[in-house]
Amino acid sequence: MVVNCLNAINNTDMNIKNMTITNADHENYIDQFVIQSKEKADKYINYFLLSFFAGGLVLAFFYDTWLVAIAVGGLSLLAYYSSKLALPKSNVYQYVLSIVLGIFMAQYIYQMHGMFEMHFIAFVASAILIAYQNWKLQIPLTIVVVIHHAVFGYLQFVGFERIYFTKLEYMDLQTFIIHIVLAAVIFFICGLWAYTIKEYNERQIELSFEVGRLQEEEVQKEALSKTNDELRKSNMELDKFVYSVSHDLRAPLSSILGIVELAKTETDGDIIMEQMSLIKGNINKLDSFIKDILDYSRNARLDSEKEEINFKESLEDIINNLKYIGADNRKVDITYKIENETNFISDKSRIDIILNNLISNSIRYQNPETQTPFVNITVNTSDTEAHISVKDNGIGISKENHKRIFDMFYRISKKSVGSGLGLYIVKETIDKLEGRIQVNSEPGRGTEFNIKIPNLREMNVSLIP
Amino acid sequence: MYKKVMVIDDTYEDRYVVKRINQKYPFSEDLILMESAADALDYLLSKADASEELPDIIFLDIRMPEIDGFGFLERFERMPDTVKKKMIIIMLTSSLSPEDHKKAMNNKYVHQFINKPFTIEEVNKISL
Repeated sequence: MVVNCLNAINNTDMNIKNMTITNADHENYIDQFVIQSKEKADKYINYFLLSFFAGGLVLAFFYDTWLVAIAVGGLSLLAYYSSKLALPKSNVYQYVLSIVLGIFMAQYIYQMHGMFEMHFIAFVASAILIAYQNWKLQIPLTIVVVIHHAVFGYLQFVGFERIYFTKLEYMDLQTFIIHIVLAAVIFFICGLWAYTIKEYNERQIELSFEVGRLQEEEVQKEALSKTNDELRKSNMELDKFVYSVSHDLRAPLSSILGIVELAKTETDGDIIMEQMSLIKGNINKLDSFIKDILDYSRNARLDSEKEEINFKESLEDIINNLKYIGADNRKVDITYKIENETNFISDKSRIDIILNNLISNSIRYQNPETQTPFVNITVNTSDTEAHISVKDNGIGISKENHKRIFDMFYRISKKSVGSGLGLYIVKETIDKLEGRIQVNSEPGRGTEFNIKIPNLREMNVSLIP
Repeated sequence: MYKKVMVIDDTYEDRYVVKRINQKYPFSEDLILMESAADALDYLLSKADASEELPDIIFLDIRMPEIDGFGFLERFERMPDTVKKKMIIIMLTSSLSPEDHKKAMNNKYVHQFINKPFTIEEVNKISL
């Protein structure tokens, strides 16, 4: 039981370790998300920039502005990609992009000789920059647009040739102010969107982490309460064990003491002989109880041995030793059959404990109404497992007791002899061997225990000639 | 000398000791030995209307299969008053557990708590 407690603790410990999401994981996850959205935006920008460059070439047809289209567009692309290559880890290239988009606007306006609609390119640029979710990227674009408008507007109106800003002969202040205000509104709104989307995404990530953390806490709580239950159960079993052991060890002793006190005053030889045999019975009871406790404790403490099992030898020994149990019982016909004997590897002492307990139960609980009490043991071994059946025509076990017979210290009735540990030990021992046990029984008809125990033989061993 | 004493104990040797002591140092005219609580309960119920046939004292073991000593006490409490008023119960057990002692003595029908083995000295000490 103490071993069980420790296992329970260890398991939970491991579970908690596996489940904990560290802060580092959390930050990693946010970084991952930022990198992913940046990579996606970069991909789009590649297409946008190429389209801008191609657009410049198309516009070159109108006023024959090939040099501007190729030189300004080319230099812009060069500026963007070289900054990106030179500083791949920093966001500088995004600011360069913001400038480059402003310059494309200026280039388009120039190429179309001040065509008003080309001013809209600034709005397209502003919208594109939302992709990086950084409102500050609107600033370089704004600066470029302001400088371009101021310089080119001024130069055109003071009369420079071949400077194109607008097709208007004269732009009045009102038009100019509306132009500026609209541009400012667009840049502001795009910046606001960039900022809002970023905030929203970050909050979303925080939230999903919080949910994850809560779920994880829940799982940990469950694991802890499970361990707690297991520990409580083990503790209760331990209490019950100590109580039962102290009682069951003392009970035969107090019986012996009572008879010894009596015997001191007896004079009749026959009565004294009877009392001696009662004392002997109690000593045997005590002895087998101590053996049971030893079996139990050995099974709980020791690891499984691996050795070849000779079922014939084991069964012969066990049957031979059991000849003397149940003095007032009739002789039970014990037969065994070993089928398909293959090389079976398991723990001999544990197999013996299982067989010994089951066969002695069959002898003890024989049916007085049967003419020919018997126990049949069948062993069938294969490469993967041994199937053992212990079948008798004894008093049988009623259905409601099938589950409880494997409980510690469970004794079905006053007819039960022994410590109430036998089948509990059988079950614990089979568990240790990773096997299974199943009972078929009917009162008055008999009982059959079916056991499957895995063969621990390494398969490659058998291949060696 | 009591008229009738009942012993409820699943251990043959312990019933034998009580029986043999009564033969050598008689303390009861009639001694009824019960090997299970269920048998004892059946007996008591069957004599519920004939109180003169009910025992004066019950010696009750604690640790027994099926219905243990405490299980017996629970069922005893539900018995007719004629049964409950007629007799006293004395726990006769090899348990040294203080919890068992406390639990038994808290029951209003339990008169005394005796540790095994059963001796005539213990019987002589009983005060009704």
